[in-house]
Amino acid sequence: MDWHLLGLAFITVFLSELGDKSQLAAIAISGGSKSPRAVFLGATAALLLASFLGVIIGEGTAQILPDRVVKIIAAVGFLVIAVRLLLPQSKESQKDTG
Amino acid sequence: MKHSLSAPNCPDLQLTSPEPSDTAFVPSESQACLNILVGEGQVDAIPQGEATIEGFSTDCECVSGKEPSCPPWRVFTSTFITIFLAELGDKTQVSTLLMSAEFHNPWVIFAGASIALITTTLLGVLVGRWLATRLSPKTLDTAAGITLALIAAWLVWDVMRM
Repeated sequence: MDWHLLGLAFITVFLSELGDKSQLAAIAISGGSKSPRAVFLGATAALLLASFLGVIIGEGTAQILPDRVVKIIAAVGFLVIAVRLLLPQSKESQKDTG
Repeated sequence: MKHSLSAPNCPDLQLTSPEPSDTAFVPSESQACLNILVGEGQVDAIPQGEATIEGFSTDCECVSGKEPSCPPWRVFTSTFITIFLAELGDKTQVSTLLMSAEFHNPWVIFAGASIALITTTLLGVLVGRWLATRLSPKTLDTAAGITLALIAAWLVWDVMRM
Protein backbone atom coordinates (compact mmCIF):
# COMPACT_ATOMS: atom_id res chain seq x y z
CA MET A 1 0.00 0.00 0.00
CA ASP A 2 1.33 3.35 -1.05
CA TRP A 3 0.55 5.41 2.03
CA HIS A 4 2.01 8.55 0.55
CA LEU A 5 -0.32 8.37 -2.44
CA LEU A 6 -3.26 7.45 -0.20
CA GLY A 7 -2.57 10.52 1.91
CA LEU A 8 -2.24 12.71 -1.16
CA ALA A 9 -5.59 11.53 -2.53
CA PHE A 10 -7.22 11.96 0.87
CA ILE A 11 -5.95 15.50 1.43
CA THR A 12 -6.71 16.65 -2.12
CA VAL A 13 -10.27 15.35 -2.07
CA PHE A 14 -10.92 16.32 1.54
CA LEU A 15 -9.88 19.93 0.97
CA SER A 16 -11.75 20.24 -2.31
CA GLU A 17 -14.92 18.77 -0.82
CA LEU A 18 -14.92 20.77 2.40
CA GLY A 19 -17.66 23.34 2.08
CA ASP A 20 -18.49 22.21 -1.43
CA LYS A 21 -21.96 21.63 -2.85
CA SER A 22 -22.36 18.06 -1.71
CA GLN A 23 -21.33 18.78 1.86
CA LEU A 24 -23.66 21.77 2.05
CA ALA A 25 -26.41 19.59 0.61
CA ALA A 26 -25.65 16.94 3.23
CA ILE A 27 -25.97 19.57 5.97
CA ALA A 28 -29.20 20.97 4.54
CA ILE A 29 -30.92 17.65 3.82
CA SER A 30 -29.89 15.97 7.08
CA GLY A 31 -30.91 19.00 9.13
CA GLY A 32 -34.47 18.86 7.88
CA SER A 33 -34.67 15.09 7.70
CA LYS A 34 -35.81 12.58 10.26
CA SER A 35 -33.43 9.92 9.03
CA PRO A 36 -29.93 11.43 8.92
CA ARG A 37 -28.46 7.95 8.58
CA ALA A 38 -30.23 7.51 5.24
CA VAL A 39 -28.95 10.93 4.14
CA PHE A 40 -25.42 9.94 5.13
CA LEU A 41 -25.61 6.59 3.35
CA GLY A 42 -27.22 8.09 0.25
CA ALA A 43 -24.71 10.92 -0.01
CA THR A 44 -21.76 8.62 0.65
CA ALA A 45 -22.92 6.05 -1.89
CA ALA A 46 -23.39 8.79 -4.49
CA LEU A 47 -19.98 10.30 -3.86
CA LEU A 48 -18.24 6.93 -3.88
CA LEU A 49 -19.92 5.94 -7.11
CA ALA A 50 -19.01 9.27 -8.71
CA SER A 51 -15.35 8.96 -7.75
CA PHE A 52 -15.35 5.26 -8.66
CA LEU A 53 -16.52 6.22 -12.14
CA GLY A 54 -13.85 8.93 -12.18
CA VAL A 55 -11.18 6.34 -11.45
CA ILE A 56 -12.52 3.64 -13.78
CA ILE A 57 -13.69 5.55 -16.79
CA GLY A 58 -11.54 8.61 -16.39
CA GLU A 59 -12.11 11.16 -19.08
CA GLY A 60 -14.72 8.89 -20.62
CA THR A 61 -17.50 10.03 -18.28
CA ALA A 62 -17.88 13.30 -20.15
CA GLN A 63 -18.59 11.41 -23.35
CA ILE A 64 -20.99 8.90 -21.81
CA LEU A 65 -22.98 11.38 -19.76
CA PRO A 66 -23.36 14.92 -21.04
CA ASP A 67 -22.22 17.11 -18.15
CA ARG A 68 -24.61 19.94 -18.76
CA VAL A 69 -27.71 17.78 -18.88
CA VAL A 70 -26.69 15.89 -15.74
CA LYS A 71 -26.03 19.10 -13.79
CA ILE A 72 -29.31 20.62 -14.87
CA ILE A 73 -31.17 17.50 -13.71
CA ALA A 74 -29.34 17.72 -10.38
CA ALA A 75 -30.23 21.41 -10.10
CA VAL A 76 -33.89 20.62 -10.69
CA GLY A 77 -33.70 17.85 -8.07
CA PHE A 78 -32.27 20.21 -5.45
CA LEU A 79 -34.81 22.85 -6.39
CA VAL A 80 -37.67 20.38 -5.92
CA ILE A 81 -36.46 19.49 -2.42
CA ALA A 82 -35.90 23.19 -1.68
CA VAL A 83 -39.41 24.18 -2.75
CA ARG A 84 -40.93 21.35 -0.72
CA LEU A 85 -39.05 22.51 2.35
CA LEU A 86 -39.99 26.14 1.81
CA LEU A 87 -43.66 25.66 1.02
CA PRO A 88 -45.19 23.31 3.58
CA GLN A 89 -48.55 25.07 3.16
CA SER A 90 -48.81 24.11 -0.48
CA LYS A 91 -48.64 20.45 0.47
CA GLU A 92 -51.60 20.91 2.77
CA SER A 93 -53.65 22.53 0.05
CA GLN A 94 -52.55 19.82 -2.35
CA LYS A 95 -53.99 17.28 0.04
CA ASP A 96 -57.17 19.26 0.48
CA THR A 97 -57.82 19.38 -3.21
CA GLY A 98 -57.05 15.67 -3.42
CA MET B 1 -64.34 3.34 12.24
CA LYS B 2 -62.02 0.44 12.83
CA HIS B 3 -58.50 1.47 13.48
CA SER B 4 -57.14 -1.35 11.35
CA LEU B 5 -58.53 0.43 8.31
CA SER B 6 -56.25 3.38 8.80
CA ALA B 7 -53.15 1.92 7.23
CA PRO B 8 -54.72 0.80 3.94
CA ASN B 9 -56.48 4.14 3.66
CA CYS B 10 -53.33 6.15 4.07
CA PRO B 11 -51.25 5.64 0.95
CA ASP B 12 -48.13 6.90 2.66
CA LEU B 13 -48.34 4.40 5.46
CA GLN B 14 -49.33 1.57 3.25
CA LEU B 15 -46.51 2.24 0.86
CA THR B 16 -43.73 2.94 3.18
CA SER B 17 -43.91 1.37 6.60
CA PRO B 18 -41.09 -1.14 6.52
CA GLU B 19 -42.43 -2.99 9.54
CA PRO B 20 -45.94 -3.51 10.83
CA SER B 21 -44.82 -2.18 14.19
CA ASP B 22 -44.37 1.26 12.66
CA THR B 23 -48.08 1.89 12.51
CA ALA B 24 -48.42 0.68 16.06
CA PHE B 25 -45.86 3.30 17.00
CA VAL B 26 -48.06 6.16 15.89
CA PRO B 27 -51.68 5.10 16.23
CA SER B 28 -53.03 8.57 16.85
CA GLU B 29 -51.27 10.09 13.88
CA SER B 30 -52.34 7.39 11.49
CA GLN B 31 -55.85 7.84 12.78
CA ALA B 32 -55.52 11.55 12.11
CA CYS B 33 -54.31 10.78 8.65
CA LEU B 34 -57.32 8.56 8.11
CA ASN B 35 -59.60 11.31 9.30
CA ILE B 36 -58.08 13.81 6.91
CA LEU B 37 -58.41 11.48 3.97
CA VAL B 38 -61.83 10.09 4.82
CA GLY B 39 -63.05 13.52 5.76
CA GLU B 40 -62.42 14.62 2.23
CA GLY B 41 -64.30 11.59 0.93
CA GLN B 42 -61.60 11.14 -1.66
CA VAL B 43 -59.61 8.24 -0.36
CA ASP B 44 -59.69 6.40 -3.65
CA ALA B 45 -59.12 9.53 -5.67
CA ILE B 46 -55.72 10.18 -4.16
CA PRO B 47 -53.20 8.66 -6.50
CA GLN B 48 -50.36 6.59 -5.16
CA GLY B 49 -47.98 8.81 -7.05
CA GLU B 50 -48.80 11.78 -4.92
CA ALA B 51 -47.86 9.90 -1.80
CA THR B 52 -44.55 9.10 -3.44
CA ILE B 53 -43.91 12.73 -4.29
CA GLU B 54 -44.75 13.78 -0.76
CA GLY B 55 -42.27 11.26 0.51
CA PHE B 56 -39.62 12.92 -1.62
CA SER B 57 -39.73 15.80 0.77
CA THR B 58 -37.94 15.33 4.03
CA ASP B 59 -40.98 15.74 6.23
CA CYS B 60 -44.01 13.51 6.06
CA GLU B 61 -46.91 15.41 7.47
CA CYS B 62 -49.05 12.30 7.11
CA VAL B 63 -47.59 10.84 10.29
CA SER B 64 -46.26 14.13 11.58
CA GLY B 65 -42.65 13.39 10.86
CA LYS B 66 -41.99 10.46 13.16
CA GLU B 67 -38.92 8.66 11.95
CA PRO B 68 -40.44 5.25 11.10
CA SER B 69 -43.06 6.95 8.93
CA CYS B 70 -40.46 8.75 6.87
CA PRO B 71 -39.22 5.92 4.73
CA PRO B 72 -35.43 5.97 4.97
CA TRP B 73 -35.07 4.42 1.51
CA ARG B 74 -36.80 7.41 -0.03
CA VAL B 75 -34.49 9.79 1.77
CA PHE B 76 -31.61 7.61 0.64
CA THR B 77 -32.77 7.57 -2.98
CA SER B 78 -33.42 11.29 -3.32
CA THR B 79 -30.14 12.16 -1.60
CA PHE B 80 -28.26 9.64 -3.72
CA ILE B 81 -29.65 10.82 -7.05
CA THR B 82 -29.24 14.55 -6.48
CA ILE B 83 -25.76 14.35 -5.02
CA PHE B 84 -24.58 11.80 -7.55
CA LEU B 85 -25.70 13.95 -10.47
CA ALA B 86 -24.29 17.09 -8.85
CA GLU B 87 -20.91 15.45 -8.32
CA LEU B 88 -20.55 13.95 -11.79
CA GLY B 89 -17.94 15.95 -13.60
CA ASP B 90 -17.31 18.03 -10.50
CA LYS B 91 -13.82 19.02 -9.48
CA THR B 92 -13.48 16.13 -7.04
CA GLN B 93 -14.17 13.63 -9.76
CA VAL B 94 -11.82 15.45 -12.09
CA SER B 95 -9.00 15.51 -9.54
CA THR B 96 -9.58 11.83 -8.77
CA LEU B 97 -9.27 10.86 -12.39
CA LEU B 98 -6.26 13.12 -12.95
CA MET B 99 -4.48 11.58 -9.99
CA SER B 100 -5.26 8.05 -11.07
CA ALA B 101 -4.04 8.84 -14.57
CA GLU B 102 -0.84 10.35 -13.22
CA PHE B 103 0.13 7.74 -10.65
CA HIS B 104 -1.16 4.56 -12.32
CA ASN B 105 -2.46 3.32 -9.03
CA PRO B 106 -6.19 3.93 -9.27
CA TRP B 107 -7.23 1.80 -6.30
CA VAL B 108 -5.08 3.67 -3.83
CA ILE B 109 -6.45 6.95 -5.21
CA PHE B 110 -9.97 5.59 -4.95
CA ALA B 111 -9.36 4.48 -1.36
CA GLY B 112 -7.97 7.89 -0.38
CA ALA B 113 -10.77 9.75 -2.13
CA SER B 114 -13.38 7.46 -0.56
CA ILE B 115 -12.14 8.03 2.97
CA ALA B 116 -12.11 11.78 2.33
CA LEU B 117 -15.64 11.76 0.93
CA ILE B 118 -16.99 9.65 3.77
CA THR B 119 -15.35 12.02 6.26
CA THR B 120 -16.70 15.21 4.69
CA THR B 121 -20.19 13.73 4.37
CA LEU B 122 -20.13 12.53 7.96
CA LEU B 123 -19.06 16.01 9.08
CA GLY B 124 -21.85 17.52 6.99
CA VAL B 125 -24.52 15.25 8.46
CA LEU B 126 -23.23 15.83 12.00
CA VAL B 127 -23.35 19.59 11.47
CA GLY B 128 -26.88 19.20 10.10
CA ARG B 129 -27.96 17.23 13.16
CA TRP B 130 -26.30 19.72 15.46
CA LEU B 131 -28.17 22.56 13.75
CA ALA B 132 -31.38 20.57 14.08
CA THR B 133 -30.98 20.55 17.86
CA ARG B 134 -30.38 24.31 17.90
CA LEU B 135 -32.99 25.67 15.52
CA SER B 136 -36.72 25.27 15.35
CA PRO B 137 -37.91 22.86 12.64
CA LYS B 138 -39.48 25.75 10.76
CA THR B 139 -36.31 27.85 10.70
CA LEU B 140 -34.35 24.75 9.78
CA ASP B 141 -36.65 23.91 6.86
CA THR B 142 -36.41 27.47 5.58
CA ALA B 143 -32.62 27.54 5.90
CA ALA B 144 -32.30 24.12 4.27
CA GLY B 145 -34.65 25.14 1.47
CA ILE B 146 -32.69 28.31 0.77
CA THR B 147 -29.39 26.41 0.87
CA LEU B 148 -30.62 23.80 -1.58
CA ALA B 149 -32.04 26.49 -3.88
CA LEU B 150 -28.64 28.21 -3.81
CA ILE B 151 -26.94 24.91 -4.64
CA ALA B 152 -29.32 24.53 -7.58
CA ALA B 153 -28.37 28.06 -8.72
CA TRP B 154 -24.68 27.15 -8.25
CA LEU B 155 -25.14 24.14 -10.52
CA VAL B 156 -26.88 26.24 -13.14
CA TRP B 157 -24.04 28.76 -12.89
CA ASP B 158 -21.57 25.90 -13.47
CA VAL B 159 -23.47 24.91 -16.58
CA MET B 160 -23.50 28.48 -17.89
CA ARG B 161 -19.73 28.72 -17.55
CA MET B 162 -19.03 25.42 -19.31
